[in-house]
Formats: sequence, C-alpha cells, structure tokens
Amino acid sequence: MSLALATLLYEWRRYTAAVVALAFSGLLILAQVGMFTGIVRAITASIDRSRADLMILAPKNESLINSGPDGLPQRIQPLIYLNPQVVEVESLDGDGARWVNTPAPGKKTVTTFVNTFDVDPRPGAVTLPVDYPESVRLALLEPYSVVIDQSAQKTLGTHLGATATLNGKTVHVRALLETYPNVNQPTVYMSRDTMRMLGMGPKNGKTGPLMVRLRDPARAQQVVDQLNAQSKGAYKAWTKADLAKANETALMSEQIIGIFLSFSVFLGFLIGVGITSQTLRGAILASIKEFASLRALGVSMGSLRWIILELSVWVGLAGLLATAVFTWLVYLLGQHGGLPMGFPATWVVGVATLLIVISIASGLLSLGILKKSQPADLLR
Amino acid sequence: MNAPSAPRPPAPPAPPALVARGLSKRFKTGRTHIEVLKSVDFEALHGDVTMVMGPSGSGKSTLVAALSGLLRPDAGSVSALGEDLWRYKAGRIDRFRLDHCGFIFQGFNLFPALTAIQQVEIILKYKGFSRSEARHKAATALTEVGLEMRMNQRPSELSGGEKQRVAIARALAKDPSLLFADEPTSALDGESGQVVIKLLQRAAKSFGAAVVCVTHDPRLESYADRIIHIEDGRILGDRRVVATASSLDQSRHSPVLVGA
Repeated sequence: MSLALATLLYEWRRYTAAVVALAFSGLLILAQVGMFTGIVRAITASIDRSRADLMILAPKNESLINSGPDGLPQRIQPLIYLNPQVVEVESLDGDGARWVNTPAPGKKTVTTFVNTFDVDPRPGAVTLPVDYPESVRLALLEPYSVVIDQSAQKTLGTHLGATATLNGKTVHVRALLETYPNVNQPTVYMSRDTMRMLGMGPKNGKTGPLMVRLRDPARAQQVVDQLNAQSKGAYKAWTKADLAKANETALMSEQIIGIFLSFSVFLGFLIGVGITSQTLRGAILASIKEFASLRALGVSMGSLRWIILELSVWVGLAGLLATAVFTWLVYLLGQHGGLPMGFPATWVVGVATLLIVISIASGLLSLGILKKSQPADLLR
Repeated sequence: MNAPSAPRPPAPPAPPALVARGLSKRFKTGRTHIEVLKSVDFEALHGDVTMVMGPSGSGKSTLVAALSGLLRPDAGSVSALGEDLWRYKAGRIDRFRLDHCGFIFQGFNLFPALTAIQQVEIILKYKGFSRSEARHKAATALTEVGLEMRMNQRPSELSGGEKQRVAIARALAKDPSLLFADEPTSALDGESGQVVIKLLQRAAKSFGAAVVCVTHDPRLESYADRIIHIEDGRILGDRRVVATASSLDQSRHSPVLVGA
C-alpha cells in the first residue's frame, strides 16, 4: 500500500472535512440535476412507458420541451402507415385547462392550471402506457372520467371519487396512478373521447406528436432512417431513446436551469477547492517533519509532490464515494416524498470528473507548503 | 554481514570519507548576522564514530548540515566520498544522499500511518529496489536492530527506543557510507540510548560507515573513536579516544538488543 493511501486510511479523521466538502459539492449539483431530470421524466412519462417504438415530431422541433408549437398536420398520420414495418400510429394530444375542484365543506376552492393528456383506453393501444393498471384503463372508458397521480391529490384539492371542473365542464376522478408524480405541474389523464367532449385536443387540422408502434421494435433505428429519408421536411422521426435524451438536454439548457447549474458547479468548485486544499495543507504541515526526514534521506522534492498529488486523488475518490452515498440518501428521501429524480450518466460522469479535478487542483495548490520540509530544520 | 575489522584499526590508509575545508555559515537575525561556522576544517574516516560535542548554539548541527549536503555553506568545500558536494545542483545532492547518506534525528520522524517495515521499505523503493527486494532488505535491517518481532507495528505501538531503532534501520537499510546522527539519544532513557549508540558503532565497525554523531550526552563519549569539541563556530578540540575493550566488545557481540 502506498504512503498516500495508508495515510488517508490511518488518519481518516483528518481528511473528513475535505471528503465531506467534496461530497456536498457533488451533491449540490447532482441533487439539482436529479430533480430537473425527474421533472422531465415526469413530463414525458406517458411517452417513455407507452408501447410506441418511434415518435414523429414537427420537423423543426428538437425535443418535446419548450421547442415551439409541436402540431403536425393531420395528413401526416396516414403517410406513416406507408412504411410496411408500421403497425399502429396514434397522436398524443396534450392540452392545458383550468382546474377547479369541488371543495370539502370548510375548505377553500383550488383553481389551478393543469396539463391534460389523452390516452386510448383500448387494450394494447399505442398511447396506453404499459404500467397503467387495468382498473385505470377501465375507469378511463367512462365519459368525463379523469385520472391523476396520487401525489397530485393535495395540489388539486381532490381525491378518488371526487368531482371537479376542467374549463368549466364537470369531470370525475375515477382512478389514481402511482407512478406519475410531477412536482412541476399536475397532470390530468383522460380518454381521447373525454378530451374531445371537453373541447380540447386536436384543433385546426393539427394533431400532437405521433406515436408509432412497429412490427419489430429492434428495427426502430432503421425505420426512423427510412421515414426521415422520405419525409421531405414535413416531419421528423425519432427513436424513443433519442427523444428522451433530447428532452433532458433541452431542459438542462433552459436558461434559468442552466444558470442554476452553472452557479452550482462554480460554487461547488470553490467550496471544494477551498476546503480540500486547506485540509491537505494542514495534513502536510502535520507531517512536515516526516517529509523532511525523507528529504534528508535523499527522496527528491518531485517524489514528495507525487505523494501529495496521489493523496489528493485518493481524497477525491473518497469524496466521490461519499457523494454516491449522500445522493442515494437524497434519492430515497425524494422517493419517499413523491419527488421523482433521475441521474443521467453524462451528468454523473461529469460530476465525478469535476470532483477529481477539484481534488487534484487542491493538491496542486497545497504543494507550496512542501517547501517547508527543510531537512536542515530537523537538525537542531 | 561483513567480517568484523581488526581489533583497532590505527588510522587506515584509505582516504577520509569526509573532508571539509574552510566551512563558514552566517545566519541573519534581525539586522545582525551571526556567524555560526567560522572557517571550520573537518575530516571523518570510514569505520570511525566521530562525536561532535559542544554547547547549544555552538554550530555543531550547522556543521553536520553542511557536511551532509542539507545546508549550503557560505564558503568552503565538502568532499564526500571523493565528490565535491557543493558544486552539485540540488537534485544531484539529493541523489548523493539517497545513495550514500543515512540520517538519524532526535525526533524519530516516522510516518504514523506506516508499520515499521513500511517505514524502511519506502526509502528502499525510492532507491530503486523492487518491491520484494525492498521488503527483504527492510526485514533484514529491522532484524539487525532487534525489531524482528515488531515489524508490523505502527509508531504509536512502539516505545521511544523502538522508534529510534526503526529510524536507524531506515537509515542503515540502504547501506550508507556516511551516517549522520543528531542527538540520537537525547529523547531516550539511558538503556535505550545505549542500544542506539551501539548500533551506530556497529554501523561503523562492521560496515565501515563514517559515523558523525552530534551529541550533548557525555555518556556516549566512551563509544566514540574521536571526539571533536566545537564552540562558537570553531573547533576547539579534536582527540582520538582509545577504545575500551568493553565497549568494543559489546558493540560487536551484542545480539541482545531488547528492552530499548
């Protein structure tokens, strides 16, 4: 075992401050990324868990998140059927509506804006998410019935069996979902027919994005390429995975979220380098006589610097481990509180790299203190 | 182990291990300069234990620092093993120390995290020995100082005398031709101190190292071959000690080193 690793393990208390500082720097970023990703995944949950293999979007749309009007001309839908691999094409129609609950006696009325999504309650329909319980599907068959996630009950001031209005028309909460929490904005799910009866859904000859089911899902990429080659700029086909990635990227680059994250990275870097380099300096100073005795015995300054840099990398790795533990705890807490979180691999790798960079930078900053290891000082 | 040398070598014809000429060193304190070494000439021979004695502030530690390549003198030269030490650049002097010099300090300066054998191994690895060679040599060195049962203990589990013996093993494991000791016994009780000085003596007698030992401790005089008295930066006395039969005898045949 190297001197650096042995020292870190033996004197771990000395390095706790640095490890915890690194862990919080990592957590600061990952928790936000986790939350924002969770929001995106909540928004796109109906798509991610649908039976669709492909999605068709308007040609200029780069994602489903804030990328402008996403309507497609209704005539696109039959065009997609021309591909022999395509089994089913349905539009995913979303809208927004004003929700007013029917308050219990003595409670205030809740008026809020909600997202509405339609699904086709026909068994095996492409727009019907695979994790919808049969009871939910059956409930949606009833006209004017709606379904919400159980975590939205409080926000919407409602409960199973209650009545509310959407844009002034009465609807009934007939079932609750458990896996569709959305902290950003509550979502109300309903059947295609109910949506039409409520006066929402496709308008002006435009539909929402199309969901496409294929005979052989393994050929999704191939079909996407074929469709895009024939689209003549009228639409753009996406595999579900590519679209999910594009959605996440789109949210992360939203200006305000970008500012949040950049600031967190900056803050995490400063805090991490500040505390870690001070900890390392203190640790080096505490062992300065031992280092000086190595110098006396002929170990070069360069070799001592390598020891410090190796130590800083080990501290970084320990910080990474602590970040993983802390983030996992926050994730559990979020799950418990109905806050979905997601950790895209690119961000996890990025944060891991950042922490190692922080620790190496701290090691470099604390190298100067090694100059105090003058072996002549050991002779008194 | 090398064959023990003849009963008492009278001034061997071999060239001296260390020759210093006209060493001067001044330190600045406030506005004044203190001249710690005033044109000191010094020689040390292979196989000799040379004690440098003198009161505090007499310049004895500065002398050792200049002799060993740790502190550049303002004037004068040091020829160590025939090499003009202070004409070298810092990196070359480091290399010289790594190849030829051992140091023992008053404080033991052992890394708290490392076991006795790791303390010795680390320096051997820097000297270029492979992992297994380093481990073997470290074990041998620790056995020679009587710590074969304590190899896997950390400094916190060792007594003061044992720690100093680890430091000695660390200094001796690389077979130094020059061994510098600065007050090696002053932090130890009498018995441990004796063990330590006997080890230094053995390094000189059995391995032919030139041992230069700075000390206050008058009890060590009986183990010296030569005693140099330094005061106010000048060498005031330089005498050879006729070794007592008992001290030499003990030094050669003292396998019992426990109890330190």
